[in-house]
Amino acid sequence: MRNWKYLGLALLALLVITACNPTVKVEAPDKPIEINMNVNIRHEILVKVEKEVEQMFEDEELF
Amino acid sequence: MKPFTRTLKTLMFTGLSTLLLAGSVWAADLGSAKAQGLIGERPDGYLGLVVASAPADVRALVDDVNAKRRARYQQIARQTNAPLSEVEKVGGMTAIDKTPRGQYVMDGSGRWVRK
Repeated sequence: MRNWKYLGLALLALLVITACNPTVKVEAPDKPIEINMNVNIRHEILVKVEKEVEQMFEDEELF
Repeated sequence: MKPFTRTLKTLMFTGLSTLLLAGSVWAADLGSAKAQGLIGERPDGYLGLVVASAPADVRALVDDVNAKRRARYQQIARQTNAPLSEVEKVGGMTAIDKTPRGQYVMDGSGRWVRK
């Protein structure tokens, strides 16, 4: 009789421990994404290009 | 022509026209392909395949969109007097910036990373 009780307790403990293990780990990325772009154009032209490109990506078909 | 046949033909014509007028009809769409991690944005301003074995319709969509992007970049380059290569870079930065968290972008070393 006593053995059954211990078995039951052991099983319950095992169940609880398993439930406590995280199945999904959420971690921050190790380092930031590194992209070095040297855009080589005059600032006033860059501003225009940026504005046009912004509009371009408003289009769902292209982005 | 029997009325039934005529109705059927009218319905088919209407249906087909709607599809054609709705724009490009693709089995895959950019949003879902990106959400599935199949494609991502590159710093050169174009879409890339994260998974080489992506389905054919996704690969075709990527080619199609990239061609359209190139045409737009060329147009912007003409309008602003900027070199195409620089417009493409701005495109890349903008696209990567706009990419939502959890989707893939290519980093400076050519690696695909999740934002």
